[in-house]
Amino acid sequence: MMDWVLLAMILALLIPIYEACQDEDIWQKMLAFASIATKTSMMILVVSVLRDDWMIGVVGVLILSVGNAALMLLAHVLRRMNLGRMNLGRMNLGRMSER
Amino acid sequence: MPEDWYMVAIAALLPLTACMLVLQVNPYHALVIRGILGAVAALVYALFGAADVALTEALVGTMLSITLYAVAVRSSMSMRLGVLEPQADPPESLLMALREVLRQHQMRLERVPYANLSALRAALEAQEIHAACIPGLSVAQSMAEEESTPLSQADRLPHLQIRVRRLHDIMQAELPPGQTRLIDTAPFNLAKSSDISTADSIGGQL
Amino acid sequence: MINILSNICIGLGLVFWFWGTFPLLGERSVLFKLHSLSIADTLGSMSIIVGLLFRIPREWPLLILALISLAIWNTVLGYVLAYCSSTGGENA
Repeated sequence: MMDWVLLAMILALLIPIYEACQDEDIWQKMLAFASIATKTSMMILVVSVLRDDWMIGVVGVLILSVGNAALMLLAHVLRRMNLGRMNLGRMNLGRMSER
Repeated sequence: MPEDWYMVAIAALLPLTACMLVLQVNPYHALVIRGILGAVAALVYALFGAADVALTEALVGTMLSITLYAVAVRSSMSMRLGVLEPQADPPESLLMALREVLRQHQMRLERVPYANLSALRAALEAQEIHAACIPGLSVAQSMAEEESTPLSQADRLPHLQIRVRRLHDIMQAELPPGQTRLIDTAPFNLAKSSDISTADSIGGQL
Repeated sequence: MINILSNICIGLGLVFWFWGTFPLLGERSVLFKLHSLSIADTLGSMSIIVGLLFRIPREWPLLILALISLAIWNTVLGYVLAYCSSTGGENA
């Protein structure tokens, strides 16, 4: 039973991987990344229950609760980059008033 | 080991995502794929029983290194162009052409405004900026309150003085003509050839 | 009895997962995909965790922690991604 659950999970994991591979928009890639991050930590949890291994379960929960922070940091850096590209004039005005 | 077939299937995801990462061209897209690779790698490590390695991969390999790389890529893959902002804005068509050329090399254009011509030249000399957009002669002379003989078309165009040799080569090869006059910076580069700026080293890798 | 309940929960979670992930493949906007992903993915993951909880009740603190962090993080992440992608512009 649990083997079939894992097979279905691997199939579900392949969908966002393919999406991240073929889509050129960076935000779509970020969505795929978010999906994969949740799915992999859920798989770790399922395997830990399958093997009755407490140690792997703790790692899975830690990755689940801390791993998403990377996603948010990266999203903010990307947003700053796109802002710089779009509102160049406004940012330059700000820098001139600093001078 | 037929009972552990799922281990093989999950371990096969690791080279798959690694190939995707290697084939990426855009550095920002590569960073996102690196995150995906980190998540899959943490899954594989945890499955093989290396809980500490999986935790380290998730925290350091994915979170810390991606953030540091994102900041590094953002600050280094840009061309700083010094302009005389309030008096002589560079024409928008020139900026668009510059952005288009830089975009093909995965770089950004960053405008740094200066108040007068001497400050602009000093900044170029001090290597604060990679290039300077000097207004054409008609604008420069009207700023100097001086009447003179009619100017040729090439003199009216804004001049683009690029300090970095590699950027100069790229612009000479790919910038559409009729927008600007590139000033030959060879003697300047020879005088300063001992130090290599960030854009120089990155441009060399492209 | 408990086993059947757990299987039903895990199966439901997998159905939710596929339901939320398949719109990712289409040519829709980021916000549409984010909507389906954050709702169906989170519900599916929580359902799977509840299924696991039925199976091994003695590990309840760990699984409850996973449940809570999943609910909080995915909600916050949905907001952050939507905010960043809509104010930063679509074309990267």
